[in-house]
This record gives sequence, structure tokens and C-alpha cells, in this order.
Amino acid sequence: MKLGIPHFGNVSVSIKAIAQQLGATDSLIIPPPMTQKTLNLGVKYSPYEACLPYKLTLGSLIETCELGANTLAQARGSGICRLGYYAKNQEQILRDLGYSAKFLTIDISHNKLISVLRLIKNLANDASWYEISSAFFFGISKLFALDKIEKVVQEIRAVELEKGTANKIYHEAIRNIDEATKRKEVKDITKEYIERLNHVEKNNKAHPLKVGIVGEIYVVIEPFANMDIEEELGKLGVEVERTMTLSRWVKYSLFLNYLGADEWRKVHHLAKPYIDHDVGGDGWESVGEKILFAHKGFDGIVHLAPFTCMPEIVAQNVMPSTREDIPVLAVICDEQQGKQGLLTRLEAFVDLLEFRRRKNGRRIYNTR
Amino acid sequence: MKTYLGVDVGSVTTKLVLINENYDLVASIYSRTQGNPVDMIKKGLQEIRNQMPQEAQIAGVATTGSGRQLAGVMLRADLVKNEITAHAVAAMHYVPDVQTIFEIGGQDSKIIIVRDGIVVDFGMNSVCAAGTGSFLDHQAERLNIRIEDFGSHAMRSQNPARIAGRCTVFAESDMIHKQQMGYPTDDIVYGLSQSLVRNYLNNVALGKAILPKMVFQGGVAFNQGIIKAFNETFHTEVFVPPHNELMGAIGAAMLVHEEMRDDHRKSSFAGFGISNTEYKISSFICKACPNLCEISQIAMDGKVLARWGARCDMWDRIDKK
Repeated sequence: MKLGIPHFGNVSVSIKAIAQQLGATDSLIIPPPMTQKTLNLGVKYSPYEACLPYKLTLGSLIETCELGANTLAQARGSGICRLGYYAKNQEQILRDLGYSAKFLTIDISHNKLISVLRLIKNLANDASWYEISSAFFFGISKLFALDKIEKVVQEIRAVELEKGTANKIYHEAIRNIDEATKRKEVKDITKEYIERLNHVEKNNKAHPLKVGIVGEIYVVIEPFANMDIEEELGKLGVEVERTMTLSRWVKYSLFLNYLGADEWRKVHHLAKPYIDHDVGGDGWESVGEKILFAHKGFDGIVHLAPFTCMPEIVAQNVMPSTREDIPVLAVICDEQQGKQGLLTRLEAFVDLLEFRRRKNGRRIYNTR
Repeated sequence: MKTYLGVDVGSVTTKLVLINENYDLVASIYSRTQGNPVDMIKKGLQEIRNQMPQEAQIAGVATTGSGRQLAGVMLRADLVKNEITAHAVAAMHYVPDVQTIFEIGGQDSKIIIVRDGIVVDFGMNSVCAAGTGSFLDHQAERLNIRIEDFGSHAMRSQNPARIAGRCTVFAESDMIHKQQMGYPTDDIVYGLSQSLVRNYLNNVALGKAILPKMVFQGGVAFNQGIIKAFNETFHTEVFVPPHNELMGAIGAAMLVHEEMRDDHRKSSFAGFGISNTEYKISSFICKACPNLCEISQIAMDGKVLARWGARCDMWDRIDKK
């Protein structure tokens, strides 16, 4: 078997680690980093009105097929959004293109843990469940390490004197963690890089603006999909924070949810006066998170949504009616979106936040 | 006398203004970019120099508009500012109690919402140029009238023709249809004005809280027909500030004035000599990875000053000899 996976944040790092632990590196095909070529492939073969996550994952999967993948991993589920049907749909498109790849799907609405473990079991058939679970824990430890480093990167980017330094260190850290073969190594590398990041030359007088990133999970997590929006905000001296990370998804969806924990309880509760039920995708969470960030004293929100994403459009239209008055910049992620236009809007948004802060003094948040 | 230079390089026109420390306009240039921003900046600078009073000196330079980066490098500007902020600052100076700013330029249109003297929200067209100056330019050509006469035609209209406003292409076919039916030009022209305003409000201004006092600026604000259509839509007077076409440049100049004063900085302005300098702009496709980024660069005397367009930082390093 040759298993191909689409890119999604640092997911490939952790799956590669799992395959390596199980001695199944040859059975795994990781596509080249996402580029314009990936996007072009995805756009060419996707229905026009499909969203960017659909187009990017399809492009990425085609690239794994070009490298010889015959089995493909993709998410599926019910009650989430159109994403639930992507696997079925993309399977058909790939078949029409002449690739007879089979889809191994991860059910992300029920039985998440079981379907993830089943996927790993498929990678190494003879491995025992003990081996599988230890490989799995090693794989996800890399996700946790990378998210921990990224959090520091998000802070340093805003205040570093030489723009781009933190980003360079971060990419080096990803490469090193990717190569690590033992848990101890992952731990040491994490420590070393966080140390290095903390020693980057900073503007100590800066009191950076803080912006919360909310929206649809794929475009929020994958920098290629959001045109490196976190990095661009960093260059403008803004510290970003986002709740949605892959490690958090793993922590709750694969473990703590089974024990009754609900990571979104507070967020849903805050959103209740405006939306009191799931609207698919991450729409409900986006509204609640906006309120939560406002309560935490953030200066603004960037709301990321794929073009034609119904749940996020619902969220976008509900947001202005919340009591918490915090500026929101809605960014639609689409292959037609130009980077220059995005940068102009980001710059203007940052100016807006700065003027507002100067005017408001240090109030936590305004209530209309 | 200390003066501040603001340069707004737009898609269709290039604007240069010089203001003094009281924000009064000392000199100004308004000309078509004609796809050649470098020459227009050079020529504009020459003219500013001719208009400039003897005792004036440049104490700060700011650039704005879609060509702000290029202009910033050429002039060695002290400040490179996005056009949304620049327009807002200028409008708030001329009309302190403004709450809504409509800005329609050559290829983009914006709405800026202001409350109590700060910008609280804004919108900008991203993928469609239907409600902009270029659209009017194009249709005027089709109707065989000069764009400068567009407004007076519209003002004479008694029964404006209804023209679809969602998309330029459909508006055009609708307009041709009305022409074939024998509608007078005046009514078609005003119908087009109304459709542009409808399009603008349905796209850029959708969901924004539009309150008076409203200010209308940008090149299209010269057009009496559009002003009339705005007034009729809101049943109130939309205010067009003096120098509506220069507002972006004025805002940029005001911002750099403030910054130079607060930071006690000295201007890094490249000087009027650049009007005689040769700049070479070129572009190439980087083949280092499948992104195939289109890199453009500006060079002076064979020395690269800046590059744009790369997704990574590979081309950021510039040999500083």
C-alpha cells in the first residue's frame, strides 16, 4: 500500500513520524509543500463553487497520486459541513482523471479515535496495537511540540527588531522536529528553539496590538490557504492568537471528548444569545470566540472564511449584532483573492486598531 | 517654510500635493498614470518644484495608493501608507463631523465608517470593478461623450433609464439595448450613474451602518450625475470636499507631517534630482519552486533598489553596495 495524505498545517510531520516508528516509511507518500501548482491542480479539477479547502486538498491528493499513491486519506463525517462529502466526491474526480486510488476516511463526527487508529493500522498491517499506540503517541507529541513553538513565534513576530527572524527559526524547528526519532529529542528541540526564540532581539518598548484569529479550521490553520496572514500581521507589529490548533483538536476530539469534556462549552455559551445551535462547520464557534477574545481585552478579530462557506457566512452576519464592540476584519480565502488587496486591508485594519487604542486609553472592552 | 509632500499613485491617476504646517495646500498635480507610474512621478515632481514657493523646503515625504511601494522606493519616502487610512485622515480634517466616507477612484472603491473621529469599519472592492471610475470611462467612450461632460448630461435627464447594476458586462448590454430603443443619451447617462451607485451600495457598502454626514471623494466625485444619484438615494446632501481628487495624497502628507513632528526625524527624501535619474523596472518569473512567483524589481544605475512579488524571502536580500 502507498498511502497519500493531503497537507493540512503540520499534519504531515506527525504522520511521517508514526510511519517511521512502525517501519512503514515506504508505505507513506507525503506530497511536496503546497504551492501555486497544488492550487492550480485543485482549481482545475474541482467544481467551481467548491471551497478553498476542497480545492487545496484535492490538489494535494493529486500530487500524491502523481508520486504513486494508491490509497488516500481524507476526512468524512455527518453534520459538519460539505466537508463530510469531500472524500466521496474527490474519489470520483480522481477516478475520472484515471487514478484508481481507494479512500481511507477518518470519521470526524463520530468514532474519531477509532478511525484514526484504523488508518494507522492500515499503514503497518503486522504491527501490534501496542506498537501502534506508542507510534501514535510519538506522532502527536510532534504536533504538540510544534504548536507550543508556534505560540511563541506568534508573540515574537510582533516585537522582533529584524522582521522574519522568528519565522526563520520556526521553519528550522519544523525541519528538526520532523527529523527527530525519539521523544526525548523532540522535547530537547522544543526547549532549544523556544529558548532561541526568546533570545531574538526585541523592541522592549513595544506594546503590540493583539488580534484573535477565528474562522473555518482549514483556512485558519493552513498558512498557504490564508496567504500567511499571521506572518503578515506579525510584520505589521501585531501579536496574534488562535484557539484552533491541531494539537487541541487531537487533545479533545481524540481523547477528552470521550471523557465528557467539551472544549467549546464556554464559547458556545457566550454565543448563545446570538446563535443557539450548531450551524455547521465552525460558524457557531467563530461567533463565540469573537466574544471571548473581546472579553480577554484583544484589540481586534480577523475572521477567516473560505469563499462559499455557508457556516462562516452565517457567523459573519451574526457577529455585528453582539454586544461586545470589537473590530472584525472579514477575510474571504479564495483562489481569486489577490495578496496586494489583502495587505492593503490588513494595513488599514491595523491603523484602525491603533487609532482606537489611542482614543480608548486602556479600556478592556466597550459595551455599546 | 517647512512643507510636506504627499504622493498618491493610483491605477488611473497620479496625484502629488505639497502642504504647509497648517495643512494648507501649497501645490498640487493631478495627472493620468497612463500605465507608467515612474515617468508620472518624475514629471509630477518637476511640476511641484515649479509651483513651489522659493523659501519652501521638503520636510517629509509620504506615498500612498496602489503604487505606494514603488513610489516609496523612488522618493525614499519617510512613510508608506495604505490609501484607506490616508483618505480617512484627509476627510476627517476637512469635515470633522463626518460619519461615512464614500471614495470612488479609477479601479477601486471604498467605504469608510467613522464615529467620533476614529475609523471603526471599512470596506473595499476586491474582485470586481463594476462600481468604479473605469466603468464610467468605458461607457462614456461607448456613448461617444467625453467623461468630463458625463455629469452635465446626467443633470439634464428627466426620465432616467433603468440599467442593471450588478455587473459591468450586463450593464453594458442593458445600455446598448436602451440605445437601440431610442432613449435619449441624457437619460441613459443618468441611468448609468444610478446603476453605479446601486452597485457600489450593494457590493462595497453592504451591511455597513451609513449615517450622515456623508462625504464623497475620489476622482468620480467630480461627476455631478453620481452626486445627484447619491443624494437621491439617501435623501440628504452628500458633501464633496474641496480637492476631492487629491484627498489620498493630502491625507498621506498630513500623516507624514504628524510623524516627523512627533519623532523629530529628518526627511530621507531623495531630492528633486530623481526627475533626471533613470529607473529601470523589470520583471521575471522565479523558477526555484513550483510557485513560479512573478518578481518585479526597480533598479537605478544597474543597482537593484527593491523587489516585490515573492512568496518567500529568497529575493528580499538586496546587495547594498
